[in-house]
Amino acid sequence: MLTLVCPVCGAHGDETDFHAGGQAHIRRPASHDPEHISDQEQADYLFTRINPKGLHFERWRCDRGCGKWFHAARDTVTLEFKAYYGITELPPPDIMAQARGAWADYFKARQKAAAKAGAKS
Amino acid sequence: MSDILSTPHFETALARRAAPAGLGFAVREMTDRGMIDLRGLASDRKFMTAVKGVLGTDLPKAPRSAVAWGDIKVLWLSPDQWLVLCPRARAVALAAELTAALAGIHSQVTNVSDMRTVLRLEGANLRTTLAKGTSTDLHAAEVKPGFVKRLKFAEVGALINIVEDQIFELYVFRSQADYVWDFLIAIGGSAAELHLFGKQSPA
Repeated sequence: MLTLVCPVCGAHGDETDFHAGGQAHIRRPASHDPEHISDQEQADYLFTRINPKGLHFERWRCDRGCGKWFHAARDTVTLEFKAYYGITELPPPDIMAQARGAWADYFKARQKAAAKAGAKS
Repeated sequence: MSDILSTPHFETALARRAAPAGLGFAVREMTDRGMIDLRGLASDRKFMTAVKGVLGTDLPKAPRSAVAWGDIKVLWLSPDQWLVLCPRARAVALAAELTAALAGIHSQVTNVSDMRTVLRLEGANLRTTLAKGTSTDLHAAEVKPGFVKRLKFAEVGALINIVEDQIFELYVFRSQADYVWDFLIAIGGSAAELHLFGKQSPA
């Protein structure tokens, strides 16, 4: 059984006190660029999920505590939670650096986009 | 609302259930509890000041805590949600007072007095007995008088408040009150009492 700690209220409990919300950081393409979405993008948004062996990023809800959603980084091999962070945040830098494969690509793209937006403003 | 509550037609969820005998703890329904669900931002000073002006006390900011002031008690539910407890007869007026005081401030006040049933449990072995229904560690140091937590009890959503060391209040939704009452009777009987395995050395 998984045991979690809610980063919002600090409630400590097992997975029955929480609700798993699936993969984290999924962005709906229509909310960013509604004019130009391909069928492939929409299909990816709906159906394609990362299924890594090792570090994974998920959404969880503190069901029997404060009722807030949060993000968690979990190792799918050891089932160990590596970090908890806010629902609007990216993982802590040291955890993000440990991401491999599709997750590493994703975070690289996010950071690149953020740097581009920062340079513009 | 207020005249509906005062009509003889109103009946609490467990009004027709007889007080159970032979349990390891005493259980009864609190029939005179008014409850108001209050939402707002704890970081909003205007909100906190307006609420204090009506209730006379600051809202608890620490997770899983409660504060009491006169006949009012406030339970922490979430960083932006509280349950205000008051005498049932006062609930409608108090909710109206809060609504008026919070006009123009991002907030929400709802009288939810009929939403939940409050069960008051008294007994020496409550922590051990209630552990049969929940995964929450009731023996943790944190679980002391004033402690509040939403938890899963008997597979349904509930809220627990430790009033005194041996007095707990369990809030369950009204529609599930009968079921939880039966569950408590089932786990509270002397035949269901928990003992340590093996031969114990005398204390």
